[in-house]
This record gives sequence, structure tokens and C-alpha cells, in this order.
Amino acid sequence: MNDIKQKLKTILINDLKIQEAALEELDDNDPLFGEGLGLDSLDAVELAVLIHKHFDIQIVDAEKGKKAFSSINSLVNFISNLKKDS
Amino acid sequence: MSASVKQSLEKLGTAIFYLIMRILGQQGGYLLLYPVVFCYVLFDRRLKSTTCPYLIKRFPDAGSWQLFKHRFRLILSFGRVLVDRGWLEHDLHADIHCDTIGRQKLIELVNEGKGLVLVTAHVGNWYSALTRLNFLPAKVHALMQYDEATDGQHPFEEIGGGKTIGIINTDLDFGGMIEATAALQRGEVVIIMADRYIKGTSSIVDFMGEDVRLPNSAYTLAACVGAPVGVFLAAKLSAKHFQVKVWDTFYPQSQHRETRQQMLDESSLKFAGCLEKYLSKYPYQWYNFFDFWDLTKKNTQS
Repeated sequence: MNDIKQKLKTILINDLKIQEAALEELDDNDPLFGEGLGLDSLDAVELAVLIHKHFDIQIVDAEKGKKAFSSINSLVNFISNLKKDS
Repeated sequence: MSASVKQSLEKLGTAIFYLIMRILGQQGGYLLLYPVVFCYVLFDRRLKSTTCPYLIKRFPDAGSWQLFKHRFRLILSFGRVLVDRGWLEHDLHADIHCDTIGRQKLIELVNEGKGLVLVTAHVGNWYSALTRLNFLPAKVHALMQYDEATDGQHPFEEIGGGKTIGIINTDLDFGGMIEATAALQRGEVVIIMADRYIKGTSSIVDFMGEDVRLPNSAYTLAACVGAPVGVFLAAKLSAKHFQVKVWDTFYPQSQHRETRQQMLDESSLKFAGCLEKYLSKYPYQWYNFFDFWDLTKKNTQS
């Protein structure tokens, strides 16, 4: 789980260009979108593509995406659950 | 006149149109349009205010009488598109011929396997054109507000050849972008109306000499998955003949979030340029009846 979390944070910093300081200030349960990290729907597209690229996991609908993207921890859980299943 | 009476009269009018079309066919519908459109153009003040911003820009030297004639032709043209739409609802395989210029190019782009974003606009018989995309060798989706998709009786689910168009509702979380991304990653086609800004991110670009706000999510979508963009606009050429033309194709390059606005603005400007060229050729096929240049308003007219 920690490996996934670390990899995810690296992706957010390197690929999505989230400032490291902003990510450090963010609690792992804080929302990524809206008032949390301030990501928007276009960032959701980029994040979905990055997760596909780095974890080979495709987020196919907004309902799953909304749950997965609600925080760093939920995204880590989402990825690790699918990795276990596969 | 109260809103309910007006609504009832509009329903009655639509029913009469359908009845005439059933009896006299498409030409009957066209014939009925002349007196109806004439009355609308003469008496409907709102119509004047909603069509003026475009007509004044398209015909800057026109006097009031000429503007009246241009308005009549614009609304008549729109009425014909609505009749065609009704006619297609009546018979999906109606004898309406469609030429597709750039058909092979679109097939090649789909065959690259990266998905394809088709951007289009509320011009010509865009609605009928969507029912003629069965030649594309992949599933086709339309990203739009659901009420727009279901407006009228025919939600263009069927596009011929046993194929259907999937509707991705922009009212979903993230504006339907997650579903659209997944579709493109499967190598499928996503159609996006790129002229009316309703919500989400936008670019302000020059269009017919003045700034407009255009939605730009289509280009981010394409850039993220590496998909090409095709600008595809429909034009009605005669009663039973319309044309769908690919006006431009390009590959928006993926940019990180700090610099992507420039890419989005450039892509939006390319789209606006295609629309300008289109309107210089088909001046009466512009169906955005609101002040398209008012940057303060969201374009919610349908």
C-alpha cells in the first residue's frame, strides 16, 4: 500500500505538476478535487490516463472515478484492490 | 399570452407539421414553413434580438430591410433542418443523401487505434449528420447534455448498419470526461459540440472579429490520450442532400497543467477558424440563437 501511495504522489508531482509543498500540506484523506487540491475535470482526465499508464488500470465511469478520486487514500485503496483481483 | 397557452399552441403546431409531413412528405413540411417563418420573423421580437448579434457580424453592411431578409432566410433554413429531423424520426432510412468529404481520412484516423475526437457545432443539419456515421470502424459516442440528446422524439440511438451512438451525459461527475477518456482508450470515437460554452474550462478566442468563449475540454481529452481531433461540420445542400466535411485534423500535444492553456487556446482558435470558413460559405446555417459574443453569459440555448 505504501509503495502505491509513494508512486502515486510521485506521479502527481512529476506528471500532473502538482507542487510538492501543496501535496505535503494535504492530508491523505482530503479531497483531490474542488476545495482540496483544487483539481478540475481536465485533471481528472489526465489522472485517469496516468493511472492507466502506470498501473494498467482503467477507470471506465464517473461513479467509480468519483469514489477513487475522492482522496489519496481512496485512490490507493482503489488501485490496490484492483491489483489484488487481477 | 400565458406560457401554458403558448406551450399548447407550439405542441399543436408541431403536431400539424408531423401530420402534414405524413400526408405530403418532406416537401409538405417545407411548404408549411414559409407562412410560419414569415409570421415568426415579423412578430417575434425575441427572435430579432437573438439573431441580430450573428447577422450584424456576418452582414455588416446590411440595412434593416436586408437584415429582415437575412433573418427570414436564416430561420427558414433552421426550419428546414427541423423538418428533416422530423422526417428522419419518421423514417431513419429516408431518402436523404449524405456526402462525406474526408471520409477516408476519418477511417484512417480511427484505424490508428488512439481513438478519435470529432468536434462539431450547431450548424447545418448537425443532428441528421450524426445519424450517418455508421461508416466509422469503431463505436461512436456523443458527449452532450442529456436533455439535448433526448430533445425531440429521436435520440439518434440508431445510426444505420445495426450501429448505435452512445450518449455520454455531461451532467455526470467530471462532466462525462472519465467515460469519454475510457472510450478513447478503447480506440472509439467521441463527438463533442465545441461551440457552446456551458460549464467547465474554456478559451477566449477571436471569432468573426470579436472575442468569444469556447469550451476546450475536447482538446485536453485528445491530448491526454494522444488522440487526433477532427473538425467535422455538416451543411445542408438541398432538400435531400447534405454534406459532412472534415475541415481540419490536428493532434493537440499533451501539456502539463501549468502550460496547457496555450495549447487549448490554439486548438480553439483552429476550430473557430474552421467555423468562420464554413459560415462564409453557408451563412444561413448558423443555429446559435443567442449573443455568441457575450462573454458574461453561459450559452444554455438549445
